[in-house]
Amino acid sequence: MSLSTALERLAKYRTNNTRASQKTFEQGCLILKSGPTTKLGDEGWAFLEQLALASIDVGRLDISDECLKQLAEKFPRSPRVDVLTGIRMEATESPETVLQYYGELLEEDSANAAVWKRRISVIRRTGKLEKAVEELSLFLDTFYTDVEGWLELADIYSSCNQYTHALQALSHALLLAPQNPFTFLQFAETAYTSGDLPLALKMFLLVVEMGERGASPDAPPTGIQIRAWLGVKLCARRLVYSPHVSSASDTPVPKTIKLIDELATERVLAAYGGQKETGSKHVTDWLASR
Amino acid sequence: MTSYTLSEPAYLKLFFHAAKHPHKPVNGVLLGKKAGNAVVIEDTIPLLHHWTSLSPMMEIGLDLAAQYAESVGLKLVGYYQASDRLNDTSLVPVGEKVVGKIKAGFSDAVAFVIDGDKLGTDEAALIPYVSSSSASWRPYAGDTIPFAKDSSFRLASEDLPRRAVTLVRENRLHQKFGDFDDHLEDVAIDWLRNKTCLPTAS
Repeated sequence: MSLSTALERLAKYRTNNTRASQKTFEQGCLILKSGPTTKLGDEGWAFLEQLALASIDVGRLDISDECLKQLAEKFPRSPRVDVLTGIRMEATESPETVLQYYGELLEEDSANAAVWKRRISVIRRTGKLEKAVEELSLFLDTFYTDVEGWLELADIYSSCNQYTHALQALSHALLLAPQNPFTFLQFAETAYTSGDLPLALKMFLLVVEMGERGASPDAPPTGIQIRAWLGVKLCARRLVYSPHVSSASDTPVPKTIKLIDELATERVLAAYGGQKETGSKHVTDWLASR
Repeated sequence: MTSYTLSEPAYLKLFFHAAKHPHKPVNGVLLGKKAGNAVVIEDTIPLLHHWTSLSPMMEIGLDLAAQYAESVGLKLVGYYQASDRLNDTSLVPVGEKVVGKIKAGFSDAVAFVIDGDKLGTDEAALIPYVSSSSASWRPYAGDTIPFAKDSSFRLASEDLPRRAVTLVRENRLHQKFGDFDDHLEDVAIDWLRNKTCLPTAS
């Protein structure tokens, strides 16, 4: 592989926020070995940061230290390098040491959102969930538009069965990123888990609608759409038989629920069209069962 | 006392699942059968790595896995999970719920939590959880350490952990492995069988 394709691929990972650490590490090492990164211009520094993170992920701390050294020399006292140093410390130091380090950084500059988020993640990791929730809520009071923060809060709540709170956190994420079908999907699945089937159905249908915009109505569902249609089916087949289930959000069950149920069956089968090998028989049986 | 033996495909698949998503929690179910006092875990069906605390896809995946198990003459006999954190080896509430459900159909159901500290070593990277008469699940605390000599938890062959590490590090077989979450994005991925990820020699 040539140097430029490797660089291109790594730049793509950065833009899409892909955490493909093993691949990043392998290609990153090629670039690192090929000569001084100063030749790469400004992109070189972003690359070093990326490689440092990937190296920590795959446990090659020697490489991450090398990257960090170059970055620290070029950008002394940079908040971004400070955060990276913290993450590197998390790999080997005790949570207390790291928390103290983050605490000192925040004392100097309380507006460093990245440091604050790292600190919260360390608190969560030590199992102090209540404290993590408290800090995260405080953080979101200050940085309301941080979608990642809301998703993290929802995840903490879901992990300890607090699904109503998780839904509240997710609704902030929906307001902030109304174009992201994955957040709607997460909302739908959380609503289902909390027992609010009508609300879950509504959200699954929204995901379907978002995906179908501009697509041909006859094309078989792909990607996230398959999951959404399965979710629709899961809700609809129960709502067909008990249309008066309670809904904490007072979401009404559509009158056309029977048609929605039939359509979901048809769409899921369409998604499996031609896939005999990978379990379409089981899916067909599942669709037919109640 | 019931004994549990994990076959090679069963161990390799759950190992690959954990190796493929090192920074995420993963979970899945174990297929097997019981003869006398011995439960043989013959296969593994991987379920989720996206939102392991949410239930809709878990419900569908469990239904499909149970149907598949029946079609090949096996039963759901257990559950496994790996945490995204190295030192977290507790069975999460969702895990307790799922294995509880499996226990309703198979009274000797067992749960395994993947031990991140042992993943790269020659030892079996699994912590068995069993339940007494009550609903609570606790790490197995018998006379012998699980997977040690004479333990009631065994691997089909002793060198399995070492082989699993080699297959991941050198052959990258975990990249050919897919779970139900992967399958839902691309239905061509054969999450129920996962044949392509197994070494051809065996």
